[in-house]
Amino acid sequence: MAIWIACPNCGRRPFTEFWCAGELPEHGPLPAGADPHEADFQRVWFRRNVAGPQRERWFHFAGCRRWLTLTRHTLTNHINDVA
Amino acid sequence: MTWLDFEGRQVPIRAGDSVASALYRAGVRVFSRSFKYRRPRGLYCLTGDCPNCQLTVNGEPGERACVTPAQQGQRVARPTGWPSPDRDLGSSILWAFKRLMPVGFYYKTLIRPKAIWPIAERVIRKLAGVGDVPMHEPPAARERRNHHPVWCVVGGGVAGLSAALAASDRGESVVLADEGTLGEKLPPGPARERVDGLVAVLRGRSNVTLLERAVAVAVYEGPLVPIAGEDFLHLVHPRKVVVATGAVEGHPVFPGNDIPGLWLGRGAARMAGAHGIAPGKRMVFWGATDESLEHLAVLERAGVSPAAVLVPSALAGRVPAGRPVIADGSVVEARGSGRVSGAVVRSSSGDQTYPCDTIVVSLPLEPRDRLLRQLEATLVVGAGDVVAPGASLDKAAESGRLAITGATIPSAASAPTAPTREGCLCLCEDVFTNDVRDAWAEGFQSTELLKRYTTATMGPCQGAMCHGHLKRFVEAKAGSVPASAPTTARPPVRTIRLEDLAAGARYPLEYRTGLHHRHLAMGATMEWTGVWKRPERYGALLDEYWAVRQRASIMDVGTLGKYRVAGRDAVEFLERLYPCHVANIKPGRSRYALLLNEAGYVFDDGLICSLGPEAYYLTVTSGGADQAEGWFRDWADTWSLDVHVANLTGTLGAINVAGPKARELLASLTRDPVDSAAIPYSGHREITVAGVPCRVLRVGFVGELSFELHYPRLESAALWDALLEAGRRFDLKPHGLEALRLLRLEKGHIIVGQDTDYDSTPAKLGLDWAVKMEKPDFVGKIALERLSRLDRDKELVSITFCGPRAPVDGAQLVRNGDRIGYLTSSRLSPVLGHGIALGWVARSASRLPDTVVAQDSSGRYEGRVTKGPFYDPEGVRLRA
Repeated sequence: MAIWIACPNCGRRPFTEFWCAGELPEHGPLPAGADPHEADFQRVWFRRNVAGPQRERWFHFAGCRRWLTLTRHTLTNHINDVA
Repeated sequence: MTWLDFEGRQVPIRAGDSVASALYRAGVRVFSRSFKYRRPRGLYCLTGDCPNCQLTVNGEPGERACVTPAQQGQRVARPTGWPSPDRDLGSSILWAFKRLMPVGFYYKTLIRPKAIWPIAERVIRKLAGVGDVPMHEPPAARERRNHHPVWCVVGGGVAGLSAALAASDRGESVVLADEGTLGEKLPPGPARERVDGLVAVLRGRSNVTLLERAVAVAVYEGPLVPIAGEDFLHLVHPRKVVVATGAVEGHPVFPGNDIPGLWLGRGAARMAGAHGIAPGKRMVFWGATDESLEHLAVLERAGVSPAAVLVPSALAGRVPAGRPVIADGSVVEARGSGRVSGAVVRSSSGDQTYPCDTIVVSLPLEPRDRLLRQLEATLVVGAGDVVAPGASLDKAAESGRLAITGATIPSAASAPTAPTREGCLCLCEDVFTNDVRDAWAEGFQSTELLKRYTTATMGPCQGAMCHGHLKRFVEAKAGSVPASAPTTARPPVRTIRLEDLAAGARYPLEYRTGLHHRHLAMGATMEWTGVWKRPERYGALLDEYWAVRQRASIMDVGTLGKYRVAGRDAVEFLERLYPCHVANIKPGRSRYALLLNEAGYVFDDGLICSLGPEAYYLTVTSGGADQAEGWFRDWADTWSLDVHVANLTGTLGAINVAGPKARELLASLTRDPVDSAAIPYSGHREITVAGVPCRVLRVGFVGELSFELHYPRLESAALWDALLEAGRRFDLKPHGLEALRLLRLEKGHIIVGQDTDYDSTPAKLGLDWAVKMEKPDFVGKIALERLSRLDRDKELVSITFCGPRAPVDGAQLVRNGDRIGYLTSSRLSPVLGHGIALGWVARSASRLPDTVVAQDSSGRYEGRVTKGPFYDPEGVRLRA
C-alpha cells in the first residue's frame, strides 16, 4: 500500500510518515437543549464510520509535525482537500 | 566450453540457454516431483507459469528453470525425490494409497491415538513440499529503489512495449518490467521481430526505464508496483499502471495430463524454435487456435513428426497437406509410466490410441489477469492478451497504444476451452478432479471455499493453470454467479523471496541519548524501552540501589519528553489541557500533573514548570514523548489558541542526581546556591554545573533528595564525567532502569503504561488529588463527571507481603478461590526486607479486601492491602 498525502508544508509524502487520528470529531457548540453528557459520550465513544468520503485528522510526525485535516474515501483511500 | 553443475555433473550450456533448455538438451526429463504424490513432472509451459521446473539454483529453492538464464558454474539441483528425482520410491506407494489420502486427510485421519500425529507430521513434512528454505543470511542485504514515473507497464510483449512507446512519444516517463529478458520466450518469427524492433527503439529513449528479469509481484493502492529485480527491489509509484502480462494456453485436464512429455504449445515451440531442441520425435498435436498452427510449423521444422494433428474443423483446411489431421478430435488420456508413450484421441470415429513420445496441446488462452484484478479499474488498465486473449499482433499493439490514450480497449471473451476431465487440475498442490468433486460433496460449494479446502490455486503458480477449471467446475455445478466468482487475486502473484520483503528494512529505529557510548564503555546491559536503548544496569543491582538510598547516584533520564510551551494563551491552553491548576504555579515552581484523554483515562504524567509569564517547561514520560507532542498540537489547533509548542526531547539531555549526598555533590560543581531555600522541593532554577548551563528540577521519583539536571544535549558527556569524578568521594555509582523501577516502587510511584491500564481513571489510581473538578473545564472533565456516577470497580493498591520474597510482575491475585486482580509491579524491597507490589484489586460491595493472595509458578504469597508509599511515607527524605 502506498497512499500519498499532499502535505501543505512538505509536499507529496507517503502515508507512513503520518499518524492517522481517525475521523474528525465534532467540537462545535451543542444544539439547544441537548444533554451535554450524552453528547460528550457520543462524541468520545462513537464513530460515524462512513463508507465513503470522511474528514480525518493526520499528524505529520516524520515531517513538519503539524496536523492536517483531509478527506479520505474509506473505500478507495483516495485523499484530497488536504489543509 | 561453458557448463553448469547439475547434481555433480557438468552440463554444457550454449548462448541463449535457460537452465531448463540446457538440462533438457543433456537428457534430463524429470524436473521435479509433485507436491503430494511425488509424481514425476517434466517441462510443460516454459513461460514461467507452471510449477514443474522449480529447481534449487545456487542454494535458492523454487527457481523456475525455464526463466532462469544458464550461467557458467551455476549449481543446479532438484530438491525432491528419493533416492533420486528420476526414480522415487515414495511415488508409487503414495499413488497407490491416493484413495486413503483425500484432501485434508490429516484433519480426518491420524487423529487417534494422540501420540500418532507428532510422528505422522514429521513423515508428512518430509514427504511433502518442494525444497528447503535456506537458513543462512543472504550474501548481501537487498536494497530498495524508488521510481516515480508517469506509467508503469508490466509485461514486455507486443502490447506492453507498444504502450511504453506510446507513452514515451507523449513525453511521459515509463518504467517497463518483464520477468524475463525481452523477447527471449518467443521463437524466431513475426512476433519476435516485432518485439525486437520495439525494444531497439525504446532502449534509445531517455524517458523509458526497462527492467528485465524483474518480477512485478503485486499492484497495491497508491498505486505501488513492487518489482523484484536481480539488483534491487524496485518500488514503482506511477500515476497509472498498464498490465500487459498476456495469457497462458489453457491447461488440459485428462487422465495422465501431468506425465513428462506433455507440453503446452508455446513451451514446445520455444524449446524447438528459440533453443533449437526438438522436444521429442513423434507427437500428437492438439491445437485449437490460429496461433497453434504456427507452433505446429515450428515443431515440424525442428524435426518432430506428427502422429496425429487434432484441430477444429474450421482450421483443418489451414493445416499443410499431408498431415494426419483429425478434425474436431481431442486428447482424452495420456498413456505412459514416467514418460508419455501414447495418446488416446477421441473423435467422431471413436477412441483411438496413437503411440508417441510427445503430446503438444495448444488450447485457447486464459488471461494472466491477477495483477489487473488487484486494484480499482481507474488506476490499472489492461492491454493485449490479458484483456483480449488471442489478439493478433496488430491488435495487441493497438491495445497497448489505447491503454495510454485512455480509449476503451475492446475486450474479447475467451474462446470455449476443453472440458475438465479426470486428471490433475492443480499441478502445484497436486489436486485432482476427483478431489474437487469430493470437496463439493462435503459442502465446500463455491470457488473460495474449494480453494481454501483443497488448496487448488494456492500454489506457486497462483492459479495460472487451474483457476479457470475451478471456476468452470463451480459454474457447472451451481450456475450462480456469486458461487463461481473468480477467487480474490492477492499479492504476491509470483513467488518472492523473504529478503525482498525485507529489502531496505535492515535496521530497527534506535534512539540513543547523548550518553549512549558512556553507558557502553561502563559495561551497561542495554534494553529497549520503546524506540530508545537505555541502560538496564551497569553491574550488581543492589550496589546501584544502595548508592541511591545511602550515598549518591546518577541516572541518564535524557529520554524524558521535554517541551517548552509559550505564547499569549499558554496559561489558558495548559489550564484546558491538564486536570490540575496551572495559573497558580509560581515561576520557579513545578507541579506533578496527569494527562487525561477525552474518556477521562490517564495516558501520561509529568511535570509542569512555570518559567514566568506566558512560558512553561513540561516533561512527560519517555514512552509518551512523541504522542504527547501530537496531543499538545492537536488541542492548540482545535482551540485556535496563540501558543507555540517546541519539542526539546532530542535537544536537551537530562541526568538525575539522587541520594542523601546529592546536594553536597552538586555544590562541589557549582557556585550557584543549591540549598533548599534556593531550590526547594518541587522547585526549579537555572544554574551552572561544571560549566554546563542546566535547569535543575527538584523531583522525587526515587524517594531521595534528587536534582534533575536538564542541559544542552551536546554537553552530555562533559557533565556525566564531571559528576562521576566529583562523586568518587561519595562512592557514587550510576543506576539503571532496574534500580529505578525498584526505588520508585518503594515510594509507590506509578509508571504510566506499566501500572496503568487502558481504563485507569485518576480515582482508580488513587490520584484524585491531582484532579481539580472545580475547574471550569479540562480535557476529560465531563467524562470524569459521568464516571463518578458509577461505582469504582477496581483500584490500584499497595500490597505488602510477609516474607523476604516477592511474586513476579503480573502474578494473579486471588481471594477465596476467585481471581480478583493482578500485580503490575512486584519486587523484594532491600531496605524493608519484605516483598512489595502495586496491583489492581477488584472492589466487592464497594470496598477493597484487607488481604489477598498472589499466585505465580513459584507459589503463594500472603499479602496485606495498604495505601500509599512503602518507604518514607511522609516524604521527609525527598524534601530534605
